[in-house]
Amino acid sequence: MGSRKSKVGWYLLFTAPLLIIFTIVVIVPFLIGIYYAFFDWDGIAANPMEFVGLENFSTLFADDRFMQSMWLTVLFTVLSVVSVNVVGLAFALLVTSKLRTANLARTMLFMPYLIGGLILGYIWQFVFLDVFTLVGEVTGLESIFFNWLNNETFALFALVFVFTWQMAGYVMIVYIAGIQGIPGEVVEAAKIDGASNWQRLTRVTLPLLMPAFTISLFLTLSYGFKIYDVNLSLTGGGPANATELFAMNIYNEIFGYGNYGYGQAKAIMFFIIIAAITLTQVYITKKREVEM
Amino acid sequence: MLFNKKITAGLTVAAMLPVLAACGGGEEEEAAVEPGETITIFQTKVEISEQLEAAAETYEEETGVGVEVIGTTGDDYFQQLQIRLSNGTGPSIFSLQNATVAERLESYVYDLSGEEFTENIAPGMGLMLDDRLVGIPYGVEGFGIVYNKDLVDPEDIADYESFVSTLEEFNEQGINGYGLSQEAYFLIGHMSNYPFSLQEDPVEFMEQVTAGEVTLAETEEFQRFGEFMEAIRANTPSPLSVSYDQQVGDFVAGETAMIHQGNWSWALLEDFGVDFEVGLAPFPLEGNDKLAVGVGSNWAVNAEKEPEEIEAAIDFLEWLHTSEEGKRIIVEEFGFIPAMTNIEAEGLDPLSQAVLEASNSGETIPWSHNYYPANVVPNDFAPAAEEFFVNEDMTGDEFIENLDAAWQNAVE
Repeated sequence: MGSRKSKVGWYLLFTAPLLIIFTIVVIVPFLIGIYYAFFDWDGIAANPMEFVGLENFSTLFADDRFMQSMWLTVLFTVLSVVSVNVVGLAFALLVTSKLRTANLARTMLFMPYLIGGLILGYIWQFVFLDVFTLVGEVTGLESIFFNWLNNETFALFALVFVFTWQMAGYVMIVYIAGIQGIPGEVVEAAKIDGASNWQRLTRVTLPLLMPAFTISLFLTLSYGFKIYDVNLSLTGGGPANATELFAMNIYNEIFGYGNYGYGQAKAIMFFIIIAAITLTQVYITKKREVEM
Repeated sequence: MLFNKKITAGLTVAAMLPVLAACGGGEEEEAAVEPGETITIFQTKVEISEQLEAAAETYEEETGVGVEVIGTTGDDYFQQLQIRLSNGTGPSIFSLQNATVAERLESYVYDLSGEEFTENIAPGMGLMLDDRLVGIPYGVEGFGIVYNKDLVDPEDIADYESFVSTLEEFNEQGINGYGLSQEAYFLIGHMSNYPFSLQEDPVEFMEQVTAGEVTLAETEEFQRFGEFMEAIRANTPSPLSVSYDQQVGDFVAGETAMIHQGNWSWALLEDFGVDFEVGLAPFPLEGNDKLAVGVGSNWAVNAEKEPEEIEAAIDFLEWLHTSEEGKRIIVEEFGFIPAMTNIEAEGLDPLSQAVLEASNSGETIPWSHNYYPANVVPNDFAPAAEEFFVNEDMTGDEFIENLDAAWQNAVE
C-alpha cells in the first residue's frame, strides 16, 4: 500500500515540471490566442482592442487569398504525403535488403533530415537557380530543367520535391523499424509456400507494416500542413503568392498586415482543420492494423 | 510514508524553483538600475550597428551615462520592436521608418518639438505626426539609376524613347541593360515611387486613391510607368532570381550597365572593388530629371519610459547631433548625408555627393513610399510585380490595375 502511494509521488515529481512548462508555453498561449480571435486588434499593446464577436471567423470564408492558401496547402500536403511515403518506403525496403552498403546508405539517406528545413531551402534555391538552368542549357531539356521557383505552378512542385528530400529519410527509419519487427518465420513460411517476391511484399510485408503506416502518415500529414521553414527559405511564398501556404498566410496576416485578431482566427481554424484531418487518418489506419 | 510525502513535496518545489527564478530574473535586474542612468537603443540600420556601439562607448566615457545598443537583424525590425514595446522591455530610443509607422505607434512616440537642437533639421525633413515632431532624420538618402560611366551616357537615358533603345542595344550585346532585384523594395518599392512623386501633391493624390476618387490606371504617369516596366521586362533578364548582392555584383563585373539603386549601395560597390566611374541619373519617367531624395529612417524617443530616461535619451540624441564628436560620427562613421543644417559633409562618395548636390539645390522629387499604406510594398506590390515578371503576356496596363487592387487591399 505504502509503495503505491509513494509511486504516485514519484510520478508527480517527474511530470510536474514538464506539466508546468507545457502549461505555460502551450496551453496558456493557446487559450489567450482563442480569446484574441474575437477582437479587432493590431497587436500593439497600447492600441485599442475592439470586440467583434464571430466576425473574424465569418470573413475567413470570403477571403480569397486565405482560400487559395488553403487549397495550395491541401494540394501540397496530398502530393507530399504520397511522395514522402513512397520514397521513404522504397528507401527502407532497399536498405533492409541484402545490400552491401546498407548501413552507409541508411546514414546518407537520413542526412537531409538533420540539415534542417531553413538551410535546405537555401541550398535548393541555389540548385534550382544555377544547376537546373545549367543542366537545361547543356542537355537542351529546357522544358523540364528551368528555374522552377519562378513558375507559379512548378514552384509548388519544387516545395514538394524539397520536402520529400527532407522527410523521406525520416519516415524511412520508421519503416525500417517496422520491417525489422516482422517475424522471420512468417516470411519464411510464405517463401516455402511458393510466394513470389511481389506476393511476399503485398500480402505479408505491407499488411504487417500497418502500424508504421499509421505513424508515418500521421507525421507527414501534420508536418505537411504545418510547413513553414522550407516555404520561407525556398520560395518565400512567391512568385505572386503562388506558394503561400497556411502557416505563412497566418504569419503575413498578423505581422505583415497587422491584423492580430483576424490572424488568430485563421490560426484557430488552421488548428481545427489539422486536428480533424490527422485524427481521422489515425482512426482509419488504426482500424486496418493487423494484430499478430 | 508521511516522510516520503514530505520529501516528494520538497523535491517538487525544489524542481520548480529554477523555473520560477527564471521568470522573476528579468524584473529584478531592471529594478536595480535607476532610471536615467542607462538608455537603450534599438534601431533598424544594420550597416551602422558597430559604429553606433563605438559611439555609445565614447558617450559613456564622456558623460557616465550607459548606452546599450540592442542588436538588430534588419528584416523583422518592426516585429521585434512591437514585441519589445508590448512586453515592457521597449528601448528608450528606436527608429521610425516613416509617418505610417509613427501613426501606428502613436502612444509610444515622444514629442520632440520643444528641443532646441531640432531646429537645425533641414526644412521639411523632420518626421511630423500632426503638428508634433516625433522623429529626427538619420540623414537624407537618394536613389535613381546607378550607371557605369564607361557604358552609358546619361543623355541616352533622358526620355522614354532613348531609354528603351539603350536597353535594346544592350540586350543585343548580351549585357543586362537595367538590373532590379528580387527584394520587395528593390523590385517595385522604389520604382513605384516615381509615378506617385511626379503628382503635384503626392500625399493628397494618395488620399484620393485611398478614397476611390481616382485610380492609378486612369492616371497618365502610371500608364507611362506601365510602358517602362514592359520595356524593362522585354529587354532584361528576370529580376526574380537576382538578389541585391548579385545585382550589385553583376554591375561591378560589367555584366549589367545600369541598376536601380541608391547611394547606400556604395558600401557594397566598394566592397566588390568597383574599378570604373559610377554615376547616379534620374529615372526618366515623363521626362523626369530629378533624383528621388528622402529620409530613410528617423530617431524617435519612447514616451512610455520614466521621465528621467526620456531626458537621458534626448541628451544622447542632442550630443550626437551637436557635439563635434557626434557630428563627426554621423558623417564619417555612419556615412550619412546629414539632414541637419549644422553638420557639414565632406569627402562623400560619388553617389552620396550626387544626392547631396540634388538635395542642396532642391532639384528633387520626394519619397512617396514613406506615405504608402503600412507594409503595402512587401505585402501587395511585390506579389503584383512578381506576377508581372512571371507572366510575359501581362500588359503594363493590367499591371497598373493590379497595383490599384493591391492598394485597395492594403487600405481596407
